[in-house]
Amino acid sequence: MIETQMNSVEINDKEKNFVSAVIYVYNDEERIQEFLLKINSVLSKNFENYQIICVNDASDDKSFEVIRAVAKTITGTVINVIKMSFYQGVELSMNAGIDISIGDFVFEFDNMVMDYDLNLIMEVYYQSLTGFDIVNAAPKKCERKTSRLFYKVFNRYSHSPHPLRTENFRVLSRRAINRVHSMSKTIPYRKAVYANCGLKIDTIEYDNDLSCTKAYNKETKHQRKEMAADSLILFTNVAYKMSLWAAVFMMAATFVIGIYTLVSYVTDQVISGYTSMMLVLVFGFFGVFAIFAVVIKYLSMLIDLVFSKQKYTIESVETMSE
Amino acid sequence: MTWDKIIIGAGLYGLYAAKACGERGERVLVLEWEEAPFKRATYINQARVHMGYHYPRSYATAIKSAHYFNRFVKDYDFCIHSEFEQVYATSDSFSWTNREQFTQFCEAAEIPCEELYPEKYFKKGLCDGAFATREYTYDAAILGQFFMDSLEKCSNVEIKYGVRIKEIVKQSDVYEIILENGDTVQTGFLLNATYGSMNQILNLAGFEPFKIKYELCEIILCKPLNKLLNVGITVMDGPFFSIMPFGKTGQHSLTAVTFTPHVSSFDSLPVFHCQQRSGGYCTPQQLGNCNDCPAKPESAWPYMSSMARKYLREDYGFAYTGSLFSMKPILKASEVDDSRPTVIRKVSEKPTFVSVLSGKINTVYDLDEVLKND
Repeated sequence: MIETQMNSVEINDKEKNFVSAVIYVYNDEERIQEFLLKINSVLSKNFENYQIICVNDASDDKSFEVIRAVAKTITGTVINVIKMSFYQGVELSMNAGIDISIGDFVFEFDNMVMDYDLNLIMEVYYQSLTGFDIVNAAPKKCERKTSRLFYKVFNRYSHSPHPLRTENFRVLSRRAINRVHSMSKTIPYRKAVYANCGLKIDTIEYDNDLSCTKAYNKETKHQRKEMAADSLILFTNVAYKMSLWAAVFMMAATFVIGIYTLVSYVTDQVISGYTSMMLVLVFGFFGVFAIFAVVIKYLSMLIDLVFSKQKYTIESVETMSE
Repeated sequence: MTWDKIIIGAGLYGLYAAKACGERGERVLVLEWEEAPFKRATYINQARVHMGYHYPRSYATAIKSAHYFNRFVKDYDFCIHSEFEQVYATSDSFSWTNREQFTQFCEAAEIPCEELYPEKYFKKGLCDGAFATREYTYDAAILGQFFMDSLEKCSNVEIKYGVRIKEIVKQSDVYEIILENGDTVQTGFLLNATYGSMNQILNLAGFEPFKIKYELCEIILCKPLNKLLNVGITVMDGPFFSIMPFGKTGQHSLTAVTFTPHVSSFDSLPVFHCQQRSGGYCTPQQLGNCNDCPAKPESAWPYMSSMARKYLREDYGFAYTGSLFSMKPILKASEVDDSRPTVIRKVSEKPTFVSVLSGKINTVYDLDEVLKND
C-alpha cells in the first residue's frame, strides 16, 4: 500500500523559482554551442521553468545560425535572441537582455569562458537564496595586468562598500534589478552600480583554469578602454582629485612667480626674467588645458546621460522553439 | 443540390454572411468541419472588440477599427462586456512606441485616451505611460447563440456539421463540392470563411494561396484576483502581455506577444512537427482543432505569468484556470507596421469564389460589400 503511494508521487525537487540566463554573444560561433548546451543542462536539471536570453551584439560570424540550430534541439520555448542593431558593447547589450528577462532570478554571463566547474552555477544560486541579492563568481587568479591596474585605481578612489574585481558571472534577484533601475536611468557600468545599490552582495571565488581565457579583439579592447575611463570618472573621484591637485599646484606656482616678479621689479632685473616668465606661461596654460580636458570629459558624459534617451538600439526579439 | 450561396466555415464571418443572405431569402448552406459553430478563431482569441489602440504603427487599421467599433457594440450589445477599466500602458524599455507617441497617435486617430499614473498598476520604472481607454470584450458563446437563434428562423439556411470536403470542382457556371460521404452540392457563389484553413480550401479548389505564416497560439484563461477583477491591462508596443476580461465569463484572458505563439510555420500550407504526433488528426491539408488535439503543446503559463507579474503590482493577482489553443494565420506583409487589414479576394466570377481573411471581430462588416448581389 505504502509502496504504491510512493510510486505515484512524482519526485520533483526542482526549484520553483523562474530563472533567466542572459548571455552576451559577440562572434562566439566556436564556443556558443557547447556553452548553451551546458547552461541548458544545468538549468533544466535544477529548475522547473527557465529561459535563456542570448544577446547577439551584431556578430559578423555565424553565431546567430548556431544559436538557431541549438534552439531546435531544445524542447520548449527556452531560447530567446535579442539582435542588437549594431555593435554596442557588453554593457548596453547586457542591459537589454536584463530588461527583457522575466525571471525571479537572473544569471548574467558576460562571456562564454567556462573556466569553472558547472556546479558553481548552482552554488552561486543557492548562495543568493541565503539572503544575498547579488552573488558574483570570481576567478582567483586574474591574468590581465591592465584589469588589475584598473580595479586597483578604481577601488582606491571609489569609496564603494564592495571593492570591484574581475568576475566571470553573477546572479541577481529581481529586487536587485528593480533597485538598480530605480537608482539610475542609464547604466554605463553594471558592476559599479551593483556595488553601490545598497543590497547584500557576496562573491564566491573559484580556482580558474587559465588555459581558456579569451583573447579580446581590437574593437572590444577599444570599448573596454572607453568604459574604463567612463567608469573611473563616474564612479570614482580620481579625475576630480587629479584636477584639484593640478589646480592647487598651479596656484602655488603662480604665487611663487608673483613673488619672483615682485623681487625682479625691486631689484630692476626685468629683462633677465623674460625667459622664465615664458616658461611659466607655457606651463600654466598646459595645466589649464589639462583641467579643460577633464571638464570636457565630464560634460560629454553628462550629455550622454541626460540627453541620449535611447539606452540601446535593438533590431528584433525572437523566441525560438523546436 | 444547388444553393444560392455556400459558405465554408461556421465562425463569425461565416454565420454573419449566412444570416445576411438568409434574411434576404437566399438559399444558403454552411459547411463546418467541427460539430458546432464558433469552435476556433471566433472563440479562441482575446475577445477584444478593437477600437484601434493596438495599432499605433498603422493609422489605417486604427481608424478603421474605431469606425466599426461603435457599430459592432450597438448591433451586438447583448454579448458585450463594457463594465471594466481598460488600461493601456507603454513599456519603459523595448517598446516601439513611447508615452508621447501613444498620446499623439490617439489624438490623430480620434480615439479617447486619458492619462493615468503608471505606478497605480505597475511596479516602479517598468511603464512610462498608462492610459484609460474605451475598449470592450465580447462573449463568443452568447454571440454564437444569437446567430444560431436567428438562423433557426430562416428555413432557407442550413448548417452541416462534421463535414469533410473531398474536392472542389469549378464547372461552367457553378462550383461543385464533393464531400467524403459522397454527397455533392453546387453553388454559383462560394465563400471561404475558414481563417486558419484558408489556404487549404484554396488548395482544394486549385487557386493561388494567400501569403501567410501560421502560428499555433495559446490563450490562457485565469481567475482575476483583488484589484484585477474589473481591470483589463495591455502593455505595448513590443514583446509584452495583455490580461483582460474574457467576454462575460468572469475569467480573464492572458496573452504575451513572445509566448502566445508556440510554433510557427512559414509554408503556404501549415506544416508543424506536432502534426506527426497527432495520429492523423491534423495534417497540412486539414487542420485539426488544436484545442482538442492530443499533441497540443505544454502551456506557457510559467512564462506568461512571470512576465505579467514582473510588471503588475502585487495587488493585481490572477490564478490559472485553463488554456485554449488555436491556429492563427498572419499575412506576411503586415509584420513591419503590425497592421491587420481585412483581405477579401475574389478569385473567380460567375461562378464566384471569394475568400475572406481578417484577424478582428468588428471588421465583419467588410463582408457586406462582397455579399451584394448585382
